[in-house]
Amino acid sequence: MASLVSGTTSDMTPRPSRRAFYTGDRFQAAAFIVPSCIFLALLTIWPFFYSVYLSLHRVRLTALKRAVFVGFENYWNLVTDTLFQHALLNTLMLATASIACEIIIGFVVAKAFVSIAHLRWSNWLRSFFLMPMMVTPLIVGMIFAYVFNPVLGIANYLLNSVGLAPVSWFGDPFPAMLSILLINVWQWTPFMMLLIMAGLFSIRSDLYEAARVDGAKWHHILRFLEIPSIRGIVLLGIILRIIDTLRFFDVVYVTTRGGPGDSTMVLTLYAYQQNFQFFQAGTGSAAAVIILVISIVITTFAVRLLRRIEND
Amino acid sequence: MTSAFRLRDLGPLILVLLFVFISSAPLLWIFLGAFKTTAQIISIPPVWVPDFTYLNNFRDVLGQFWPFIVNSMIATVGATALALLLAVPAAFGLVNFSFRGRAAIADWILSTRMMPPIAAAVPLFVIFRGAGLLDTLPALIIAYAGFNLPFAIWMSMSFIRRVPQELIEAARLEGCTWLRVLWEIVLPLSKSGLAAVATFVFIFAWNEFMLALFLTTREAKTFPVVISSFIGTGRVYWEYITAASVIQCLPPVLFTFFMQKHIVSGITMGAVKD
Repeated sequence: MASLVSGTTSDMTPRPSRRAFYTGDRFQAAAFIVPSCIFLALLTIWPFFYSVYLSLHRVRLTALKRAVFVGFENYWNLVTDTLFQHALLNTLMLATASIACEIIIGFVVAKAFVSIAHLRWSNWLRSFFLMPMMVTPLIVGMIFAYVFNPVLGIANYLLNSVGLAPVSWFGDPFPAMLSILLINVWQWTPFMMLLIMAGLFSIRSDLYEAARVDGAKWHHILRFLEIPSIRGIVLLGIILRIIDTLRFFDVVYVTTRGGPGDSTMVLTLYAYQQNFQFFQAGTGSAAAVIILVISIVITTFAVRLLRRIEND
Repeated sequence: MTSAFRLRDLGPLILVLLFVFISSAPLLWIFLGAFKTTAQIISIPPVWVPDFTYLNNFRDVLGQFWPFIVNSMIATVGATALALLLAVPAAFGLVNFSFRGRAAIADWILSTRMMPPIAAAVPLFVIFRGAGLLDTLPALIIAYAGFNLPFAIWMSMSFIRRVPQELIEAARLEGCTWLRVLWEIVLPLSKSGLAAVATFVFIFAWNEFMLALFLTTREAKTFPVVISSFIGTGRVYWEYITAASVIQCLPPVLFTFFMQKHIVSGITMGAVKD
């Protein structure tokens, strides 16, 4: 897989198939690699153990010295807390629904971009389409707080001008969740589109020709040529998006704060509030550990997958 | 690669234009808002196209909040520099040396990319409070560099791997130290790729919000943290929000247009080459 984005093949450089590694020089190898490893260990391994420690104690962020060991009480409290249950459920729902929409819409848009890739302006159009995924997530929240504002928002004005009833975008539980979903799909469909497009560009055009000669219908091409070719990269996209959704915070923080009620509460916002608004470092850490465990399970798959794509 | 428009391109083109519109319209709307007076921003029916000579919103935002834009800049540039300084040698080492556990270390580094920042939040808060670094830019630089390090190492590896091995071998035969090989051969040959890595780290750090929200309170607040305070329980400062959003989005939007060809390789951490 090379030169996928520009869509050209002329600037492809052959990849060295197998690199010979230098043995010996062990001390020098360490000198290059160890600083990063120490840095990452301090940022990941140590916080992990510290979070586990805190999650087993009743402790406030403002008085960490006075930690009382309570075993799994915090975890039990979490599991029985309806707010946490909703946060977990909402996060899973958001991940499933938004990733599904992103893949379907992303595929359609990717096909359209591939068919016009030969036009001079297609690269510019693609940049315009990609903007949402690079824009600061917090600003995305701000923009939609403005667009979906019940009083001064343009969304309701447009609905009204075509004779539709105004929507309480962030005001009622069900629309609020749909709005958050919509914002996610708006921001991240370009991401999926880009990956799918990379996959589609890797299909050699003579395979399409051959399929057409054999009289294959579009759904045959989709099923036997396109889906197998993009499967790996889409799987990678799904994993990265699940990881992203577990961290999803900025947009809900400025639009709904998890409300109304607990209808848009998500995991990271829950853990954040426990830790830094209620100073419940025990409960907050337990929630963080749960998020981390989910991430680790998904990551295990991700690492294997990335290695496989690397070696293809 | 470019060729003329054919009739059968019409369908896909219309679809593309529709989706380009959906992608850009909300961004365009906030951009237009930045040039409106407060009354125009909140008026319904909306004022569609403002008078672009009205720059008071920008003047007010820059005038009052410039120190926080500077904070964002320092934190972002500092984090990018620190991340690259650590990542490039690590990537160089992982690509060129063989030792036991090499693949395991590379995988472990990759897996730390998946670490949710919230899981490190309280421990980071505690360390930085202990070190007296809360509400300082060094704390942000360290945290941002750390969270971007796995990405930077993996993406750098994919570029450094493309340096022809013969050159490295020749240099070694000439008696170059590894440090000189890195400095005089690998760096010059992979500098455009590493520049892409740096730009990515820059954008990620520039866009970061949650860590800055609890690591800073007054002095070291970054621009996103300030912007988030424009919306709250009391009055919502739409005139600031619109102008500040434009300023905040400028780097990532420029990046999208000038670095487009690197984006796929960036979002897959170098797994897909550009």
